[in-house]
Parts: sequence; structure tokens; C-alpha cells
Amino acid sequence: MHRKLFYFFNFACLALFVAAGIVDNDREWKGYQKEYKRMEIARIEKALSTETDEAKKASLDIALKAARSMPIRLRQAMSKDLIRYDRCTSCHLGIDPAVNALQVNDYTEHPFKASVVPEHMSHPPVKFACTSCHGGQGLATTAEDAHGEIKHWEEPLLAQPYLQGTCVRCHDNFEDLEGAQEAKRGKDLVAKLGCVGCHSFKGKGGEVSVDLGDIADKPVSRIDWSQTTADLDRHQWNVKNWIELHLTRDPMSLVPGDPFGHSCEHLEKCEGVAPSGMPPFFEELSLEEAQAITAYMLGMTDRALPMQYKVPAVKKPVRYADNIEHGKAMYTKFGCAGCHGEGGADGRRNFNALGDGQDKTNLHSIEEMAKGREPTLTKVVGTYSRDELRKKLVDGVSPTSIVKFNPEGPTPPLFMPAWKTKIKGKEMEVLLDYLLSIAEDSGEEW
Amino acid sequence: MAKPVKRKDFLWMGWGALAAIVGGSGAASTRFLVPNILYEPSQKFNAGPAKDFPFGVSTLWFKQQRVWIIRTSEGIYALWARCTHLGCTPNWFIAENRFKCPCHGSNYNPDGDVLAGPAPKPLWRAQVEVVASGDLIIDKAILENRPGVREKAPFFAEYA
Amino acid sequence: MPLPELSIEKLEKEVYGSQIWKSMFRNWPWQDSTRHRARHIVDNVWLHLHPAKIQPRALRWTFTWGLGGISFLLFLILTISGVLLMFYYRPTVELAYQDMKDLEFAVSFGIILRNMHRWCAHGMVTIVMLHMIRVFLTGSYKKPREFNWAIGVILLKLTLFLSFTGYLLPWDQLAIWAVTVGTNMAAATPIIGNEGPFASLLGMTISNDVRFVLLGGTTVGANTLLRFYVMHCVAVPLVAAALMIVHFWRIRKDTFSAAPITKDEEKVDVWPNLVVREYIAAAGVTAFVFFVSVYVNAPLEEIANPNVTPNPSKAPWYFVGLQELLVYFDPWIAGVLLPGLIIGGLCAIPYLDTNKKGVGYYSWSERPFANAQFMFGITFWFILILIGNSFRGPNYFWYWPWESWLVHKPVAAPTWSFPLPLGVFSLLAYGGLGMTLPRLITADIAWKKATGAFLGFFALVGLWMHFGGDIAAWRVITVGFLLYLTFLFGFLYPQKYLQDLDMPRYIAVQSLVLMQMGVLVKMGLRLGLDVKYILELPQFNLNI
Repeated sequence: MHRKLFYFFNFACLALFVAAGIVDNDREWKGYQKEYKRMEIARIEKALSTETDEAKKASLDIALKAARSMPIRLRQAMSKDLIRYDRCTSCHLGIDPAVNALQVNDYTEHPFKASVVPEHMSHPPVKFACTSCHGGQGLATTAEDAHGEIKHWEEPLLAQPYLQGTCVRCHDNFEDLEGAQEAKRGKDLVAKLGCVGCHSFKGKGGEVSVDLGDIADKPVSRIDWSQTTADLDRHQWNVKNWIELHLTRDPMSLVPGDPFGHSCEHLEKCEGVAPSGMPPFFEELSLEEAQAITAYMLGMTDRALPMQYKVPAVKKPVRYADNIEHGKAMYTKFGCAGCHGEGGADGRRNFNALGDGQDKTNLHSIEEMAKGREPTLTKVVGTYSRDELRKKLVDGVSPTSIVKFNPEGPTPPLFMPAWKTKIKGKEMEVLLDYLLSIAEDSGEEW
Repeated sequence: MAKPVKRKDFLWMGWGALAAIVGGSGAASTRFLVPNILYEPSQKFNAGPAKDFPFGVSTLWFKQQRVWIIRTSEGIYALWARCTHLGCTPNWFIAENRFKCPCHGSNYNPDGDVLAGPAPKPLWRAQVEVVASGDLIIDKAILENRPGVREKAPFFAEYA
Repeated sequence: MPLPELSIEKLEKEVYGSQIWKSMFRNWPWQDSTRHRARHIVDNVWLHLHPAKIQPRALRWTFTWGLGGISFLLFLILTISGVLLMFYYRPTVELAYQDMKDLEFAVSFGIILRNMHRWCAHGMVTIVMLHMIRVFLTGSYKKPREFNWAIGVILLKLTLFLSFTGYLLPWDQLAIWAVTVGTNMAAATPIIGNEGPFASLLGMTISNDVRFVLLGGTTVGANTLLRFYVMHCVAVPLVAAALMIVHFWRIRKDTFSAAPITKDEEKVDVWPNLVVREYIAAAGVTAFVFFVSVYVNAPLEEIANPNVTPNPSKAPWYFVGLQELLVYFDPWIAGVLLPGLIIGGLCAIPYLDTNKKGVGYYSWSERPFANAQFMFGITFWFILILIGNSFRGPNYFWYWPWESWLVHKPVAAPTWSFPLPLGVFSLLAYGGLGMTLPRLITADIAWKKATGAFLGFFALVGLWMHFGGDIAAWRVITVGFLLYLTFLFGFLYPQKYLQDLDMPRYIAVQSLVLMQMGVLVKMGLRLGLDVKYILELPQFNLNI
């Protein structure tokens, strides 16, 4: 009995030791390197067989020798400045300058092909490595881990157009860059939609919602994914998808809140929590537009960059034809459109505020509460004097003083921030000029 | 003539010396392990002009310094964003007017008092001072959470 | 030139007869005689820890289960794999996590070694606990082995501490938050921890208390990583190895088996009888460890970020039971007092247990009190671990294993505390009656009747509360069940078996029993009746 066990366990240990060796030796990247080597050798041999020029033949011979002696080993691109150590070239040999100095080859198949784009020439791997622009997990050496759409890795590989977000991180002048058009489009859309009315960007903007100046750094664990199970698998939980969902779905369904206070019914003072106040922009955005905004947002990071990697933008002076045009620009600059719509013509949703067509007998209906609206400026501005309007802008309207549709329901999420520290002097006056000019009932005299 | 030291007494003195060395070495080793200088950001920082803080809870220094600065009509105080239960970092939820800790679910109101969860004590308030320049200076090394004490200087800076 | 004829026998003779061989191994040529077997053990520095002969019944697998030996084997595997891992690991906050990734992706056999180290660590904690249970159940801690049991308890503690210090080294989110939760318990130490009772006496702040010394800073940071690295790799293994030597030497001196020697029993040779069993156990465990390490990867989460607390943050699994207690008790009780009592109580067991029976074999009937109390405590401990590990989700709310953590749970009901006089009265009544009643009531209590009476009484109270006071049935059942356990283990058992114990021992044993059951009562009061504290003295940071 003991003898049998002795044999069994000794051989089991040996077998497992061999298995460990095999498992350890069996690395995904080795297969790609061997395949690349084979393809190189075949390509050069084919060229040799048809080549007649002796000089060229000699150089092809050297190339063949080099290809044949190419070692199968881990490779990495290092950027000490950016603290990036990227082993991408262990599989993507076509873009390893040590293997393929010219960065040109005929292989169309992924991952072997070279990618000779001007951006690669201007961003040499020795200075930038790979993941600083492309995202992904550079230290990893399996496709799944390296491409990074996995649990416990927060920066997955970025495809176009999201890739353009990383241009924004260094290039303050990205709007003038070729290849960053989608990011520019995103930025323009952000301005047009008026995101900045509620969201600040590094402290500049409204205080209604979170600061987006570092949204790309937002830890995945700070996000409540409970309403995304139909859209995303666990490994797709990342900031990119979180941002994009806000633009392709109704944010109210993404962050439903707790309008009737179920979560706090034990507590003495219990208030319901309104769902996300973000307007349903998905109704007006195409998928490409949502992606462009997402790409731009992925450039919003707080991470420190070495100074020499920053590219400043040249400020262009702007001239306005008149006060109205200047005021319109201010309307965009401060994101008024976020709540009041473009040109003040479309007051957006404000949960549990008053709105047109609400059924007063159905106070506990989510749908009826969601019919609450922010003021449509073209309709209401005419009822204010210039001074009254200025006061409204300066002091804002506190969330608790908004008239609720359901008095027992949650406080409406959107409110007018006090702009006194942000809109001042000439900017305020031209904005008022513009606002008064859009009033539909502009026949009044004052 | 000096009294001769008896052998027994001498031995006891010898053992005493040994005990002193052993005990002293233990104490010295412990002292050695207490660092005199830290590579941590200073506990004391300048939060900028006091007048710039809006009424209510400000998360301006939350990320960098782990404090919330709360301004009321009477003055300013600073809450250290560290759950008194086990030291996790709660988050501020403006719509619910409370801080919620993700570790064991403790909730606090803006005074720092516990509304729910296992936290045994209110949130700590840090020492605050509005200096002559109008800047708000916060020192997280000096903390207080007892009702009655925390509402007075130096944990509350009167500021209109 | 013709080659010399190859003869195994001749070669053997030449090798074994050579001066080199003889200078290293004394016991050659091998003859299968009792004398040679004995010399095999005695002449070998590694094997002479064994006696030359041993009782046959100590050899049975079902007696020791090989648990002590397996613990030591795992320690050896951990030492070897640990030393190898040290070659690729740099204990700084900038590099540690990167080195973990390197081990996984860029170092030959790196991930297998890391897996082996991780799984053996968990395995060693488990096996050492099981070893303690086995030694208890066979009564092997009794005279003259009391002190070795105490050393064993300290070794168990060192094993936990080794695992805990190693937990931080990967420098991922799992690591720093488990260590944050664990070390914050130190801050609750009375007097020398800044959040403990009476901390203000010595002017404790976060930058001079015991936690500060442990972390080398006010938060888990670069100093902590280096400290834990040094403790994990050098300081604690040295202490543990020294104590292991004492532990083994004591086993050797006190004879391998605690079984009493009967006259007609003939001892058998350790070589090969015991050695072969040890080898087989070692080979089997090694094969198992290899298998797990090749196919199951050790966890590695995101890089540590002191600003982002995972929800929920859990301590390493062996401390999760204490973490679960933190729900019901102040940190200084759950994190300092109760672990201290557990360790102290365990060490005291051999000196409190005067029962001379049940040494060297499993017996419930000869040691009903000791076994019942010990196994109750152990079961309780593992149930707490199970709850903390598998039944706690975001915000540390109760989630069944089949429930999704994405579903939001409502905030728990508000808790309340006893008013001070009632609190003092309750504690005094519990302690006073608990200490005196089992001693005063000397009459034989029929257990079945007592149980029936208790359950009947409680059922009546429950019905009355349910209909009169509108209290949910599950609350009554929870409190009733836990009170019944307290009644059974805290009164009936001591009443029956502690009558004849001398006074100092009685006080010590009954205090420990009451503490153990008190934890249960407090849990019942919280779960069933939402009681926060029985005694609340915020002036001294003292809440019970």
C-alpha cells in the first residue's frame, strides 16, 4: 500500500512538474513571433528566387540571415518619462523598429502588419511607448490581458475614434491637428449641448453635477453599474462605456435614484432621491456624435505629465459683430443650453419639477414626474425686467425653492446655479442683451 | 573605609545592569521604529481664501487633502473624510445631504453625526483657522469630534 | 583499451566504501536490522528529530492526519518559493505592482511560484488551525505538554501574522484595503491606540500611537510596505522558525504520541514505518499544491489607490470573522479584546482542564465539557468567517450568495442603546448570575426538561410579543435561538461539569465561557432587536 502511494505521488509530482514546464513554456506571444519569422523567411526566400541582381541578392542574403537568426524573446518599448513598459511588440512585430526598421511590410493579417502612419513617426516608441496613446495593459503578454478589456484593468485598448481622446491629454492645440477631428467634433458638441452649464471642467462651469475635468481617471469601483447589466458584461465596465451610455441611453434609466425613498424608510428624516438630472441627449445625438463626445471626454485627465510632452495651443482672438452675437457666445460658453436648450427654445427635463401636460391626479407616476421641465427662455424671459433677469443669473435658484410636481417627491435635480463669481461685467451685460433679444414676446417696452 | 561590596549584592547589581540593557534595548528598538520624518503630505495646509467657499459642503479639497470644508452662516469647519469605523473614505451625496461610507455603510450628516451604520463616533473635525490674510488654514493632525467642543475654536472658525 | 566490466555491485561497494561517502553517511552498508534502522534515524541530523521507535497506534492516519507535518512542509515550500520570489520583487510603491505583473507575464515560472506561495499560505493557515483542533480533540495538550500547546498557539498567531504581512506585498487594491481594515483594529487598542478607550490619557494621536509604529506613517504607504516586507521575509520567519524548533524538540522529548503506553504494546521502528508515512503525506500535499498552482491563478486586482475604497473592503479571510464582529462591537472589543481573550484563553486551556481522561484518543463521552465548549467556539469562529466572506456585500449589508451585489439594499433600521442604569444592571446581572448560578444550583438538572421548559417559555414570550408587541417572528426566533445556546453552553454545561472545579479555575473557565456566550447574546440583541450598545460611556470611548 505505502509502496504504491510512494510511486503514485512521486510520479504525480513529476508529471505536474513537467506540466508546469509545458504550461510555462506555452506562451501566446511565442506563436506570433514564430509565425512572423516564418513569414519573413518565406518572403525573403521568394524574393531571392526571382532576384537576378547580384548586389541586391547579397543584401537579401543578409536579410535572410537576420530573419533566420531572429530570436524568439519578449520585447518591450520603454518610456521612462511616462513610466510605460509596453510589451505590445512581442506580438506586433511589424511595428517593432528592431525587427522591422522601415515599419513597412506586406502582411495584412493582424497582428503582423506594420502600421506606417505619420503619428507613429512623430511619436517614436522610445519616447512614448505604446499604451500612453493607445491604452491597454502594456506589461501583459497575452492578447486578452494586454488589450485590457478585463476585470481589474481600467484602461482598455482604445479603437478609433476613442483613441483621439489621448491626443487631447498632451495637445492643447488638438483642434488644429489632423487626426483629432473626432475629438474636436466632440468638443464642439459639448459646447453646443451646454454640458458646462451643469458640469465643471477643472473648476470652470456649473456646480449642478460632478466635475468632468478628470472623468477619464474615474475609478471603475466608484461607478454603480447596477442598471447596465443589459448593455455591458463585467469585463466591459470601464469609464469609456460609462460616458458613452450617458449619451446613448436615457441617463434617468442609468441612475434611477430612489424617488420614493425606499432605501431610507427606517430613518426619521427620509427624502427620496431624484434620478439623474442629465437631459436625454440621446434623443438628439447620433451614435457617431456620442462616440465623438466620449473620445473628447477620455482626454479629460488629471494625471501629471512631464512638461516636455505638453503642446500648448495658440489663443486666437475672437471678434463679435455686435453685443447680441457676443451674448450668444456667452450663452454657449456658460452652457445655458444644457438646461434651457439651444437658443433658449427648449427647456429640458427636470424630474419632479412642473411641466406641460402633467396629470395632476397621478402624483406618484415616474412618467408624470419626468415631464417636469426647466424654463424655456424664449417664453419666460419676456416676463422679466433686465435687472430682475440679472439678479436671477447672479443669485441663481436654489434647488429647494423649485416648485415640485409631487410635493412629497424628491427635490428636482436641476437648478439654476448662482453665477455671480463666474459671469461678470461685460460678459453679463451682453448675455442679458442676448437673452432679452430671444424673448418671443419682445414687443414689451422697457 | 569604604564598605566592601558583598558578593551577593554585586551579583544582583550585575543582573540589574543586564536587565536594564535588555529593557533599554527593547525601548530603543521601539523608538527606532517610530519615524521622525514622514514622506507624507503635510497634515497642515492652506485651503485658500475663506470667502471663496460656498455655503454648504465643499469637496474642493476632498481629493487632495481628504477633507470637506463646510460653511454655515456663522462660520467654517472642516470634516476629515475618514469613516470613524474603520478608516475608509466616505463620499458626499448632495441630493441626500449626507456622507456615506462604502465599507460598512455608515452614514453621516454634514455635522458629522452618525445617521446609520456601525460607526461608533461622529466624523472628526480638523483644526481650522482663518488667518489675517483671509486664508483658511487646516491642520488634520489635531482632531475633535465631541459635541460641544467641536463647535468651538479651534475646530470652528467664526466667519460671516 | 578494453572498457572495465560494469558491475553495479562493484560500483556500490566502491562508492559506499569510499572515504568521501563514509565521511558523510555513517550507516553503510545498509542492512535491514533493528540496529541499522535505529542508526538511520539517530545518525541523520534531519531525521534524529524522531525517536528510534514509536507506538504503532501513533502511526495511524486517523490519529494525527499528518497535520503538524503538513504545516511544516507548507512552511518549507513557502520558504523556498518565497526566497525565489524575492529575487524579482522590489518593495516600493512604484515598483511592487509592476513586479507582480512581471511575475505573471514576463518571468519564467513566475506565476506558478507566486500561485504556489499564495495557495500554500492559505493552506498553511487552514492546516495549522486544523492541527490545533486535532491536538485538542485527542487531549494531546495535557500534562506534560501544556507549554508546547502554548507555543503552538503562538505559532498559529505567527502564521496568521506572516500571511497578513504578505497580503500587502502585491500592492493592489485587495492588499492595501485588507491591511487598512486589519491595522485599524490596532488603532482601537486601549490606551496606546488613538481610537481606543482611555487614549486621551497618554495624549495619543494618529501620529504617535501603536498603529503609527506598525505602519510607519499615518496611512498605509511606502513605509508600511517596506516594514511589512521586512517582517514578512525576515523577522517573523526567524521567530517562527526558532519557535518551531522548540515545538519539535518538545514533541521529541515528550514522546511522539500522547497515547498512554500499555504494557503489552510493542513499539515499532520509526524507519521506515513513520518516515514513509511522512514522505507520502509530503509527496501527496506537494502534488496537490503543484496542481492548484499550475491551474489556478492567485488574485491580483487594480493597483493600490489610497483614495478609492473598494465596496465592500474585506480583511483576509482568516480575519473576516473578527471583521464580522466589528458589526456588533466597537473596534477595541472586536479587534483587540476578543482576539486577546481567544489567544489567552487558548494558551490557558491546558492549565484549566483538570480532566485526566481522554489523552491520546478521540473521546466525546470522557470530555464532554471541554469538547463541547471548544468545538462550539471553533464552529462559531468558522461561521463568522463564512458570514463575513460569503454573506456580506456592498456597504457590508447582508447579501445571500445567490443575490446580485448590484441590487441596492435599503438602509438598516436605526439602532438604539440601553439607558445607562439598565445597561449597568444588565451587565452585572449577566456576569453575576452567570458566575454564581452554575455553582449554587447543585441539583441534577434534567437536560431535556430544562430545554423543553426554556423553549416553551420562549415560545410563549414570542407569541405574546408577536401579537401584543407586533414584533416579527424571525426576530423572536433569532434572539430565542441564541439565548438557548447561551443557556445550554453557558449554564447547563457548566452547572453539570464545573461543580467540582477548584475556585480559581472555576472563575477562569466560567469567565471565558461567559465571554464566549456574551458575544453571541450581543449578536442576537443586534440582529433581533437592533440594540447598538448595552453599556454606552462615550466619555471614555467605552461602549459594550
